[in-house]
Amino acid sequence: MKRLGLVLMVVVFMITAFPVFSGGQAETVVESKQTMVIYNSMNGDPEPRRVDEALVAEFETENSDIEVVHSIIAHEDFKTAIRAYLTASTPPDVLTWFAGNRARFFIDKGLIMDISDVWESEGWNDSYAKGWQAMSSVDGKQYFLPTSWYWWAVYYRPSVFEKYGLTEPQTWDELMNVCETLVDNGIAPFTIGTKYRWTAAAWFDYLNMRINGPEFHINLMLGKESYADDRVKDVFEKWGMMIEKGYFIENPAAYSWAEAIPFMADESAGMYLMGDFIRDSVPATISDDIDFFRFPIIDASIPVGEDAPTDGYFIAANSQNPEEAKKLLAKFGSKAAQEFNASELGRLPTNGDVDTSMFNASQQKGIDMINSSDFVAQFYDRDTTPEMADEGMNAFMEFWDNHSAADIDRICGRLEEVRQEVFAQ
Amino acid sequence: MGKTKKAKLYNPWAPWLFLAVPLLIYLVWVIGPMLYTFFLSLTKWDGLSAPSFIGIKNYRKLFDDPVFFISLKNNFVWIAFFITIPVILGLALAMALNRDIRGSKIFKALFYSPMVLSLVVCGLIWSWLYNPTQGLFNAVLEAVGLEHMAQGWLSDPTYALGSVITVAIWRQVGYVMILYLAGLQSVDPFLVEASLIDGANKWQSFVHVILPQLRPMTVVVVVISIIDSLRAFDLVSVMTRGGPYNRTSVLANFMYIESFNNYKMGYGAAISVILFMISLIFIIFYLRVVMQEEN
Amino acid sequence: MQSVRTNRHISKILIYVLLILGVVIWMIPFITSIMTSFRSNDEIMTYGFLSLPKTLKFDSFVAAWQRGNLKQYLPNSFIITVPSLVLTLFLSTLSAFALAKYKFKGRNVILGIFVGGMMLPFQILLLPVFRLTEAFGIYDSYWALIGIHTAFQLGFCTFVLRNYMVTIPDSVSEAARIDGCNDFTIYSKIIMPLVIPAMAAVATLEFTWIFNDYIWALILLRSEKLMPVTAGLAKLQGQYVMDWTVITAGALLAAIPTIIIFVALQRYFIQGLTMGSNK
Repeated sequence: MKRLGLVLMVVVFMITAFPVFSGGQAETVVESKQTMVIYNSMNGDPEPRRVDEALVAEFETENSDIEVVHSIIAHEDFKTAIRAYLTASTPPDVLTWFAGNRARFFIDKGLIMDISDVWESEGWNDSYAKGWQAMSSVDGKQYFLPTSWYWWAVYYRPSVFEKYGLTEPQTWDELMNVCETLVDNGIAPFTIGTKYRWTAAAWFDYLNMRINGPEFHINLMLGKESYADDRVKDVFEKWGMMIEKGYFIENPAAYSWAEAIPFMADESAGMYLMGDFIRDSVPATISDDIDFFRFPIIDASIPVGEDAPTDGYFIAANSQNPEEAKKLLAKFGSKAAQEFNASELGRLPTNGDVDTSMFNASQQKGIDMINSSDFVAQFYDRDTTPEMADEGMNAFMEFWDNHSAADIDRICGRLEEVRQEVFAQ
Repeated sequence: MGKTKKAKLYNPWAPWLFLAVPLLIYLVWVIGPMLYTFFLSLTKWDGLSAPSFIGIKNYRKLFDDPVFFISLKNNFVWIAFFITIPVILGLALAMALNRDIRGSKIFKALFYSPMVLSLVVCGLIWSWLYNPTQGLFNAVLEAVGLEHMAQGWLSDPTYALGSVITVAIWRQVGYVMILYLAGLQSVDPFLVEASLIDGANKWQSFVHVILPQLRPMTVVVVVISIIDSLRAFDLVSVMTRGGPYNRTSVLANFMYIESFNNYKMGYGAAISVILFMISLIFIIFYLRVVMQEEN
Repeated sequence: MQSVRTNRHISKILIYVLLILGVVIWMIPFITSIMTSFRSNDEIMTYGFLSLPKTLKFDSFVAAWQRGNLKQYLPNSFIITVPSLVLTLFLSTLSAFALAKYKFKGRNVILGIFVGGMMLPFQILLLPVFRLTEAFGIYDSYWALIGIHTAFQLGFCTFVLRNYMVTIPDSVSEAARIDGCNDFTIYSKIIMPLVIPAMAAVATLEFTWIFNDYIWALILLRSEKLMPVTAGLAKLQGQYVMDWTVITAGALLAAIPTIIIFVALQRYFIQGLTMGSNK
């Protein structure tokens, strides 16, 4: 009993002492700084984190009167926490977010600050391509700052292609030939890990854009076209045929996207439709043996669309430190910051002033691929509403296991019901 | 008799003095937000703007939603497993380890260890054990000549739910064991000794002497197991997120996706209220049975 | 007598065999995670998820410590967990005592309120409680988390402790009352010492839960420097980089405090009775 009493005393001491010593609240403003800006970002990965922190440090040296209260939250969790952030009385002033529809959702709710003045004063209206400007504007006002993007493509190992006498396919028929050859040699043409579903959405995006064109695709994403349309069924039919022929690894739903990479490493699968971030995760043994090509053209008569998700920043509407926030934003959108980002992380910049000669061959190839396309989409779950995306990705999983004509009719019928409900509002 | 005597012995305000602070805190932090959730279930709310009242629309929609019924069924399956296997195993372990056998401390710590490992890592490691090409389960099945039973455990709609519940049971056993170990400390050793001297064998003395004394703790364990099964969330969210196509969806998970992914907090609140009602029915029914036996 | 003794031996051996078998099966996932933490990601990519480690590397632990910034997060976890744990235990012994040892009007309703508060999936309370902390002006502070953990765990603790106190015969407290003890003395001097086993068990469970909480911290905090260790672990998961070995190493490191608490407290809930010891 005596010992228990002692333990209790220590504990009581800890309760009272800890919060007191540690200040209790976070807003202990450093006295030497007159102002501050709160910045929450979702760059949890080690390298992006380092660059993010370096940029903040640079900003603080340039603006010695401003303290940046910087928090980095894990990517997935940031998406949950942002609900609290945006409605808090003291929200983070500057936040990282996705361009396109995801930002539009908050803009429509009045949660994002109009930053047209920053675009104006920083000269971004001239230095950023018109596409980026359009992506950031609602009714002629700018709310968002896109800063970096990456592309999607089909990744493969040149050494494996060489072994079986294959070359990068440009057309659908060529792709089917490549698949046949790989299957004949006991290799699954495509690896994919659909445990978290979004990898399958890339297949839907690309097949739909290649078969029906990007205009139809984006209208479908915006709820202006029907999921029960025969054109959508064509997409599922072609996709189902590939699954049926064994062009994908077995049991993809058992793997996360990264857990499906080893099938390329041990040569049991040939290709992977993936974003360029795949390079960060391939094992060192094959990292020099990875290349990519544009998703093959199915119908040469229709415009070419690509997925190129774009990330950036915005300022919360009820920011308590708008002046400082705008300064920080100006920093992130500047040529210098984007060049730093590009050289350190290989992230592609949006600021047109950035010197393009600094890119390596692979980056140049990706930029050329996107520049030579007719339309750039974001990605399935960024282009449509969160609810539609959730239902859609569930449907892709169900379709993966059940892809008869009747199944496709049923799945498309249900998606159409959801679309009507979601977009009725 | 006893009642009247007690009533004279203590100040009638005494229990309320003891209850005041904890009850106040509980009402403000838990019951208040809970009642607010009841109200939210009658609104359309995205969690960002102001909620707008829509009556019972959310509930009507809920009863048209196939995912709701899949989830409900899965929760019932979950309850069925949870109030049996972990309770029996946990009690058996507590009985086996509540004695001076060598290494009992180590055993206890090891059986409790699944509780302390982060859920994300539990999900990760188990998904590797379940992995269809390199996983342990399929390897064992192949080794004993049952390769036709090898599965993509978490990706197969038939087995996915069972595979997730297995992990939940794996974590739950240590938890139940702890509660029963504590409960066993209140069992009167003299009564146990006496029954053994009277010629009862160990099993008889367990059933007739120990179990009845453990009843209050069993009530805790069963009630908690029911509530936990109905609130099951974490493992589903890290292992399958309700997939493949909602086959492992449970109500709490369904609620979370609707509220936090789809921005339908009102709808999520309606799901929670239904979940609350189900808990309530189960627990009232269970307590009725227990009380009747007692009287 | 002889046969009784051999019987006893056999049953003891049987129990050991079953226990060891059970532990081996139970430990497979844990051992797998320990093995994973000693490997490298490239090794996993090349040789598979479950093959044996080729070399023993502590790199992942170092990486988890540094990259997950555990040094910064761990103290926060204690600052949040310890007061919540002590407060909830203390307050729940009060409410449990009232509900177990007094018969008064509304007793069952109060018990029902405590149990009923557990019946809602707590995720739905996230935003309402967030608003509450804003109203109290404690959003983004330790107090927000201490508040919700203390309050939310009161339901479970009250319920368990109340049902444990019920098993303590009323004759114990009545005798004390006749001796002139007041209500508070009965609670603190008579009942509390007898409830230690249950409190130790509840404390173990509560420590595990509060220490491993992440979602409350995510919603009620905005500043990274206040975040608990689970936030550091979450960050290890990454957006594009899936560093399995570092994630597992981090989780194992973060599990150490909970294990220590378990080992420290377990003697309190095993002491009492030692059945089958046949002294």
